[in-house]
Amino acid sequence: MRWLVLAEMACAGAAVALVWMVLLARWLKGRPVGRSWLAGLVLVPRRYLVDVHHVVARRPRNARMHALAAGGLLGGSLALLLGVLPGMPPVPGFIIRIVAIVFFVPGAWGALIDRARRRPHTPSQLSGGAFVWLPVALLAWCVGNVVVALSVSDTGLHAAGLAGLALALAGGVALLVAVGRGPMRHGLAGIAWLTGHTRPGRFARAGLLRPFDTALWPLDLVHERLGVLTPRDFTRPELASFDACIQCGRCEEACPAFAAGQRLNPKALIQGLSGAMRERPAPYAGSPAPHAPAMPGGGGMDAEIVGQVLAPDTLWACTTCRACVEECPMLIEHVDAVIALRRGQTLMKGAVPAGAEQVLRASREQAEPGGRALDARTDGIAALDVPVLAPGEETDILLWLGEGAYDLRYGRSLRALVTLMRKAGLRFATLGADEVDCGDVARRLGDEATFQALARDAIGVLGTRRFGRIVTADPHAFHVLKNEYPALGGTWVVEHHTTLLDELVRDGRLVLAQRDGPAVAYHDPCYLGRYNGVIDAPRRLLDAACRTRVEVERHGMRSMCCGGGGGSPASDVDAVTRIPDLRMEQVRQSGASIVAVACPGCTAMLEGVTGERPEVKDVAELVLEAVVP
Amino acid sequence: MIPHADALLKPLRIKSMVIRNRVMSTSHAPGYGVDGKPQERYQLYHAEKARGGIGLTMFGGSSSVEVDSPATPWSQIAVSDDSVIPYFRQFADRVHDHGARLMVQLTHMGRRTRWDTDAWLPVIGPSVRREPASRSIPKEMEPEDIARVVRAFAAAARRCREGGLDGLEISGAHGHLLDQFWSPGVNHRSDAYGGSLEHRMRFGIEVLSAIREAVGDDYVVGMRMSGDEMLKGGLTQDECIAIAETYAGRGLIDFVNVIGGQARDEMAHAVSLPNMAFPVAPFLGLASAVKRAVDVPVFHAQRITDLATAARAVAEGHIDMVAMTRAHIADPHLVRKLADGREDDIRQCVGAGYCIDRIYVGGDALCLQNAATGREATMPHEIPPAGTARRVVIVGAGVAGLEAARVCALRGHSVTVFERDDRTGGQVNLAVRATWREALSGIVRWLDGQVRKLGVDLRLGCEATMADILLCAPDVVILATGGDAILGDDPGSDLHCTTRDVLAGRVAPSGSVLLFDEMGQHNAASVAELLATRGCLVELATHDRLVAQEVGTTNQPVHLREFYRLNVVTTPNVELTETWREGNRLVAVLRNTMTGTEEERVVDHIVVDRGGVPDTTLYDALKAGSANAGQTDAHALIAGRPQPVMGRIEMGDYALFRIGDAVAARNIHAALYDALRLCKDL
Repeated sequence: MRWLVLAEMACAGAAVALVWMVLLARWLKGRPVGRSWLAGLVLVPRRYLVDVHHVVARRPRNARMHALAAGGLLGGSLALLLGVLPGMPPVPGFIIRIVAIVFFVPGAWGALIDRARRRPHTPSQLSGGAFVWLPVALLAWCVGNVVVALSVSDTGLHAAGLAGLALALAGGVALLVAVGRGPMRHGLAGIAWLTGHTRPGRFARAGLLRPFDTALWPLDLVHERLGVLTPRDFTRPELASFDACIQCGRCEEACPAFAAGQRLNPKALIQGLSGAMRERPAPYAGSPAPHAPAMPGGGGMDAEIVGQVLAPDTLWACTTCRACVEECPMLIEHVDAVIALRRGQTLMKGAVPAGAEQVLRASREQAEPGGRALDARTDGIAALDVPVLAPGEETDILLWLGEGAYDLRYGRSLRALVTLMRKAGLRFATLGADEVDCGDVARRLGDEATFQALARDAIGVLGTRRFGRIVTADPHAFHVLKNEYPALGGTWVVEHHTTLLDELVRDGRLVLAQRDGPAVAYHDPCYLGRYNGVIDAPRRLLDAACRTRVEVERHGMRSMCCGGGGGSPASDVDAVTRIPDLRMEQVRQSGASIVAVACPGCTAMLEGVTGERPEVKDVAELVLEAVVP
Repeated sequence: MIPHADALLKPLRIKSMVIRNRVMSTSHAPGYGVDGKPQERYQLYHAEKARGGIGLTMFGGSSSVEVDSPATPWSQIAVSDDSVIPYFRQFADRVHDHGARLMVQLTHMGRRTRWDTDAWLPVIGPSVRREPASRSIPKEMEPEDIARVVRAFAAAARRCREGGLDGLEISGAHGHLLDQFWSPGVNHRSDAYGGSLEHRMRFGIEVLSAIREAVGDDYVVGMRMSGDEMLKGGLTQDECIAIAETYAGRGLIDFVNVIGGQARDEMAHAVSLPNMAFPVAPFLGLASAVKRAVDVPVFHAQRITDLATAARAVAEGHIDMVAMTRAHIADPHLVRKLADGREDDIRQCVGAGYCIDRIYVGGDALCLQNAATGREATMPHEIPPAGTARRVVIVGAGVAGLEAARVCALRGHSVTVFERDDRTGGQVNLAVRATWREALSGIVRWLDGQVRKLGVDLRLGCEATMADILLCAPDVVILATGGDAILGDDPGSDLHCTTRDVLAGRVAPSGSVLLFDEMGQHNAASVAELLATRGCLVELATHDRLVAQEVGTTNQPVHLREFYRLNVVTTPNVELTETWREGNRLVAVLRNTMTGTEEERVVDHIVVDRGGVPDTTLYDALKAGSANAGQTDAHALIAGRPQPVMGRIEMGDYALFRIGDAVAARNIHAALYDALRLCKDL
């Protein structure tokens, strides 16, 4: 009996190792990243137990399920193996087998909890298929092995033990299949992915140097393949990350494009990319991208992904809001994958949606995505006579106006900001007609060449002026200037206007009198909150300016996108409803009559919501209303 | 948001002056000048536009540079001596405080003025030719006169600069001295100032050269002119373009302000100040043609009343600055509302021409639908909240009731409005049914929109009884119930119907119609046109010297034009004294008020307009119980103090007021002014 059990455990171990080798071999077909795997491997336990757990634990029931099932499975199996090792003295062997039982019983419990998640109906974000019988397999393995552990003796075979063994074996085989092609793959792939995670900065949030590792990395444009066309073009860790997806569907729940019925489901996207690596991928039993046409799927490492696995619209529907990334317990980088694929489409194939093409052409030829004259950018603040900083001149604050400055509605927000800066006695100037587009939209649309050209121009212009810091009311420009220009040689202190205003209020240079009025809810811009962690400054300002502030259910790091980012509006992807309509409904649910915004994109999207709805006001406008003259 | 709004909100640089946006108000004479000076009322009127976000406001239409161009007609400004400079300085400060630019128009009116006022000097002109509009016959200018006027222009320009104004324009439009020289129909000189176009342009060139010398190269000097006089013997479009090209090409002017037409007589005047009978922006094409020929910015006004048209005009490149002069009289905060995304709150000019028509009879410019314009010292354009919130019940949702509801709601009062009709608007809803008067509906549309936006409890289809009103426990009851038409009491008047009956569709006359008018207003005139377009043979008879005598100078010619076109017979100086039925027809007796002789008319229908009378039933019922016996304290009203009764109102008491035609039949402006003036202090 002992030998049989030993063989069972050894086979299981060997099979798992074999499957892992096969997977590794496939991931290694991707592009190397030039980082030490060993160094990464050392960090894996912490990443798994702290960072992954941090995300998983947002849903305590799931965390419990996972701790019980994974702990029970691994601990029990290991203990049982130890307990039946040849030469193990009887007493410690017995104790260790008891320990195994102590693990397997909670493991079984975990399996039952998992099973219960799909009873009576499988929730829409969860996958079916292999996920339905996984708890059964897990239960069989655990229960079978409990029986086995109880009946292990050197004396020989007996019926109960054999029955347990058979049960465990059946469960084990099923689990092995799941490791290779099914749900259990996430364990092995996850270790590989966490070892080589492409954004190591994400694991150092607690007060370290760059807590928000969200900048896109520059693409070497002198290369024969730019971006991603086939699975082989992804990096090795990225390939592992696709296999690490456990199809929990949290990304799907968070995705604004999915909610609006656009052809994007981040879970299906990642599963599609995982399947793209294989000639015959495992069937996907989760919700598809809404209204997406059926794709042949699979294709292998050298097949083109767009057209084979993904519909083009899927790619262009992404607003790059990172909500999926924020929710992913496996810390997968969906947005990076989308951008990599867009880079392939844009730079290698020129296959961009018509609207996006127009934006890119205008960005390229006129240094302005809307094709508007650069000297018209200051029109909205013309009446306020803001000085223009000429080359060689110096000021305290350089006000970066951004694309929003062209918009009439947003002009009001900018005028409010300028008025407040005046009131606070600040010395500031704009670049006037010398301000070019920062390149955000071009970069998100995958046109890295145009982005880098614009960035070079902007860095050149900024380099000829002297100033203490850059302040902008546009979170996209803020992110690009602050986080993405340093890689191209432009490093300045960059602040969002809410940070500046917060500073002015805290220093007493602006005095606010809290105003009675309808409840205000703050809508976090993705590029300010999720991308850069600026969550508190705008709220402090609103609390100082408005008597009643409420939170929308989705807020802060887990806020929902307005639909305006990532060049998605320009791409004009078909949808069932509009993302801002959904967001506005959430604001309405919060009971707010005013939605405070801090981004020209959010302003434009939310102002576009028709009918009776909460009023849209920039934080600066609300602060101006409350400022004591 | 309207399309191309960004085109309007783009700054314009002229030399070293930057105008913050593309919306302006042209120089006009609102009749506010006192002793030839722009004093407080004049300044506040323009400062309000500056506060409202306008880029450039120009004042002083036809401000005179010399004593033989008197300032008294239209209460204009005299820039003919230095005493005006301190006023200019004060004026400029008031406008600059709000970030707008301020300019003035300088002119010599030549023959287009009166000799029997101010200094009683003869009027002058290039030749001895009478102008129909002014009826003056000028003295032909001698070379000495020319030199004197040129010097006067230069001196006046210097005063503008010293007064801190941002620039000036000289007028070569509407038949002033400059274009009297240009126009071959007026200028018959044989010296160097007459004959060829080159010669005819000489006077203006001398004027502008002298101005340039006086103010320097950096000062903004422009010119207003016609793009085509559209008059036989007048300046053609080609000549106008040639003039603009020459003056601009020589660097004499920094902008050209183009109008269409001229103003030599009544109809030309009506055309050059188009009212609601005209399409919007009728002469934009003329300005656009000038724009194509010159390198300086082009300004243009003429019935551009809505921002969408204004934005299109600028965005498409027809003009550089769009002048919305009357639009600003209706709503001086037009630009700020655009910039703040509050276009729906803009009170749009309906083109009634009430403002300008008042000036031409020696009055002051007032807006038919905005009682605060021109009264900035006493009437607020933005209503401040009241100290005490009260319960206000208003009966009647005509324009008076709506304005009262709007002002009271802005004061923070809780307002209920009863209206027996199923829609708001009252009598204006009738007026709009007559041909080209339709645009009056804009007045109601705006008031209705504002009142609903302010959350007023609007009870339509609900005829208020005393019980209904008292059930609301009001602090204030305002009756704005309008009035009914007067049928008259001459024998046989029961056989008549009223213009209101026709407009309301209660009667549909056919065949021959005698329309007798005692009011001289639009009412009868427009009903005459309506009936004529429906195929009736209409005779419009009136007690006055002329039909539509009370209708102003930009509107009356349009009525007269329509009468001629539609073969409406007009019979002034008669009274309708008696009517009787004869068979299925009516016989009316018309007595000539000059001779006393009587004539008979046999017609199918007789329609009368004898004005209106209030129905006082509800007032009589409420009066006894009110704390003020229904009386409005006129002294408090005029002084801008709260009504004394408001201090005495206690639990269960109410104050009772009447406004608009519910007191006595007047007009839309009177109704709105009643409402604003009373309610702003409630």
